[in-house]
Amino acid sequence: MTRHAAPPGRAGQENASQDGSRAHILVLFANDSHGMLDRIVGVLRRRRSNMQTFAIGRSELPNVVRITVVMHDSEVGVEQLVEQLRKIVDVRHVVNLSSEQAVARELALIKVNSTAAQQNEIIELGHLFGAHALDVNQETVTLEVTGSADKIEKLVTLLQTYGIREVARSGCVAMIRGTSEVYE
Amino acid sequence: MVIAATVMQKQNAETTQIGGTGQQSLEDARELSGSQILCEALVREGVELLYGYPGGAIMPFYDALTGYPTLRHVLVRHEQAAAHAADGYARATGKVGVCVATSGPGATNLVTGLATAYMDSTPIVAITGQVARPFIGRDAFQETDVIGVTQPITKHNFLVRKIEDLADTVREAFKLALGGRPGPVLIDVPKDIQLSKTQYSPSASVNSRECYRVTRTPEVSTAAIAQAAKLINKAECPIIMSGHGVILSKAYDELRAFAEKTNIPVITTLLGLSALPDSHPLNIGMPGMHGPAHVNKAIGTADVLIGVGLRFDDRVTGKVSEFAPHARIIHIDIDPSEMHKVKVATVPIVADAKDALAALTMAVNPADHRSWINEIRSWETRNAELASNVKRDQQYPDPTSILEAIRAETNGEAIIVTDVGQHQMWTARHYTWSRPNSHITSGGLGTMGFALPAAMGVKMGIPDTPVWVVAGDGGIQMNIQELATLQQQGVTIKVAIMNNGYLGMVRQWQQFFHSRNYSETPITGPDYVKLADAYGLTGMCITRREDVSAAVHRAMETEGTVIIDFVIESESNVYPMVAPGSAITNMIEEHVEENTSHD
Repeated sequence: MTRHAAPPGRAGQENASQDGSRAHILVLFANDSHGMLDRIVGVLRRRRSNMQTFAIGRSELPNVVRITVVMHDSEVGVEQLVEQLRKIVDVRHVVNLSSEQAVARELALIKVNSTAAQQNEIIELGHLFGAHALDVNQETVTLEVTGSADKIEKLVTLLQTYGIREVARSGCVAMIRGTSEVYE
Repeated sequence: MVIAATVMQKQNAETTQIGGTGQQSLEDARELSGSQILCEALVREGVELLYGYPGGAIMPFYDALTGYPTLRHVLVRHEQAAAHAADGYARATGKVGVCVATSGPGATNLVTGLATAYMDSTPIVAITGQVARPFIGRDAFQETDVIGVTQPITKHNFLVRKIEDLADTVREAFKLALGGRPGPVLIDVPKDIQLSKTQYSPSASVNSRECYRVTRTPEVSTAAIAQAAKLINKAECPIIMSGHGVILSKAYDELRAFAEKTNIPVITTLLGLSALPDSHPLNIGMPGMHGPAHVNKAIGTADVLIGVGLRFDDRVTGKVSEFAPHARIIHIDIDPSEMHKVKVATVPIVADAKDALAALTMAVNPADHRSWINEIRSWETRNAELASNVKRDQQYPDPTSILEAIRAETNGEAIIVTDVGQHQMWTARHYTWSRPNSHITSGGLGTMGFALPAAMGVKMGIPDTPVWVVAGDGGIQMNIQELATLQQQGVTIKVAIMNNGYLGMVRQWQQFFHSRNYSETPITGPDYVKLADAYGLTGMCITRREDVSAAVHRAMETEGTVIIDFVIESESNVYPMVAPGSAITNMIEEHVEENTSHD
C-alpha cells in the first residue's frame, strides 16, 4: 500500500479532472456471505485503487459486516468506484465519508525495545498520546494506542529512538459525527 | 418468507442413492435429490434448452436430467461452445441461456464464454459441477476454484453450500442474470449436494435477500428528463447514439419515435446495429474505429450527443479528449457505474432505455434539423465518390457481394452472426440491416470462435428464422468442432467463410502500424468442402465473384447446415480506419491509402 501517491491515470478519464486527489473513507455494509470479500477486493484491485487501510468487522445488523476502506483518489474516480462497489450483489450500502463529517480512529500495538531503566520513560511518552502499556518485560514494552493515523505515526516516530520491534495496526474505522447513521 | 425446504427435517443428507427417474408431478414436499431439485428449479424458470458437456462432478445432474424430458440438452463438443451457444440463445430470444459443465477443465473452458457475455451484458446462467464438499480446497481430481476464477467475469456467482439453498439459488441466479443490466451468473454445485436428498416443495417462494439493487429497473428522473429536453430543444446539431441497451430493452419503437419527433440523426454502435433500419432516413451509420467518415465527423461537430444504452467503448470514442469535443452529453444507461466513466455527462439519466426514451419523447419539442442532416449527407456523398475512384479487384468474391447475396436470398429476414475481425467490420458496415436485433456479434470482448456456436444458440432460440454465420478463416477454425453438434442436433445454419488466408485484421494492423511485418498472420485451413462432407454436411468453395449469388441461393435451397468457403482477395482492408488512440475524425481513408502506400 503506497502512501499519498498520485492516482494512476486511467484510460478513458482523460477529460475528467484528475486533480484534487485526497483521502476518502469508504464505509461498506455487506452480507457476510461466501466470496463477498473477494468481490470487493477484486473491484479495488482491478481499479488499481490506492488503498491505505482496509478494516472489516461485525456491524449492528445481524449477518452484515462493516468494512472501512481508506484510499486516495480523485473525486471522479472515487464516485465511479462507489458505483461499481454498489453493483456487487452482496454489498448493501456504500458511503463515501469526507474527513470533515467523520470521526476516524485506528488502533495500534507497538512493541518497543526497552531496558529496565527506560520503561517508565516509554510509558510516560505513551501517556502523552493516551497510550497504555499492555505488556512490560526485561527487553520490551508493548503499547496500545488509539487515534487518528497521524497521531499513531507521530508516536511511532518518537518511539523509533528506542528501537521498534513490531507495529500492528488495525486500519481505520469511521462513523459520521452527530446523530445520523451511515446506514439509514 | 421461509421456504418449505428449510423447515423440513433434513433427511439422508449424505445418501448416495439416486435414480434417473425424476418425476415432474407437482405434489408438495417430495423427497428429491439435489440433482432433481436442480432440474425442477430449471423447469420452473421456464428453461427449455441447455448446452453442456458431462463429466465426473456433474454426473448426478446428468443422471437426473433424463427424467425431465422438457429440458432439452445439447451436447456440445467443447464447453466454450456451450457458453457461446447459451449467449447466442439469450441474445436472440431475450431469455436466459443456460450452459452446464463439469468441475475443473469443464468449468475453466466456460471462462471465455462467460467473459464474452459479461462484456456484452447478456443473461446466461452457467451450472458447474464441483468436487464433493469434503474435497474442496484439497486439490482433488478436477478441482478448480471456479468461484475465484469467474468472479471478475460474472455478475454474481454462487457456491451452493447446502442442499436446502439449491432451489433458491437457481431462482436468484435467473433473477440476477436478467434483471437490470443483464449478465452471466454461475452456480457451482458440489457433487455430494447433487447426490444428497431432501424434502422439496415446488410451491416454496424464493428470494431471501432484500438487496437486489442490480436487478431493479430505476425510475426515470423527471428532473433529468426536463434538463435533457431543454438541451435537446436548444441544440442545433444534435446526434443520437444508440447502443446495445436499446436492443436489450427492445426500445426500437421508442428510439424511432424520439428520433422522428426531433428529427435528430441516429448513429448505432456495433452492438446497437439494427435497432433502427438502415433504410430509415435518420439512420446515418456506425461510429468509431471503422465507422464511415461522415459519422465520425458528425460526432466531431455535434453540439448535443444523446447516448442511449452504451458505455462509450474505446473503439467508439478513439482519443476520448477529442471525442465529441463540442457536445454536451446526455447519457442514458441502466447501470449507474457507466455514468462519467469515460465521458463526463452533462445530464446523466440512470434508466432503462425504453422508459427514458419514452419520457424524453414526451418532453421534447418537435424539431426540424434538415440542414444539419443535409450537411452530414453531403459529407457521406463526397466520401462515397472518393471511395468509388479506388480501383478494385473484380475477380474474387468480395465481402459486399457476399453480404448482398445473403440479404437478397433471405429478404433481409436472416439473423447474421459474425465472428471477430475484418469480416465482422465489413458485415457491420455493408450489410443492410432491417430486422431489429438481426445482428449478433461479440463486441466488447471480441471473441474469435464466437460465431459458430452462438449461431447454433440463435437458431435453436428462433427456429423459424434463417441464420447465417459470417466468419473469417481464422475464427471459424476456433470452434469448428461444433459442426458435429449441428449435425447431431439437426440444426440448420448457413456459414459464409470470408477466407483470405490471413488473420486479416491483425495483418491489416501489421500493414499500417508494423511496416507490413506479417508476423504469424498467414494461416492455412482445411478443405472446407471435404470438412463439411466429413461432418455429414454440405460444403462449397467459391473463387469467382460471378458465382456468389448462385452459391448463396444453393445454400438456402440445400437442407441442413451448409458451409461456403469464399476465397476473397488476400490483402483487402477495412476502410476507413482510425488508428488506436487517435481522434475518430482522423481517419485512414481508402482513396488515400490504396493509391499511395502500396508497393
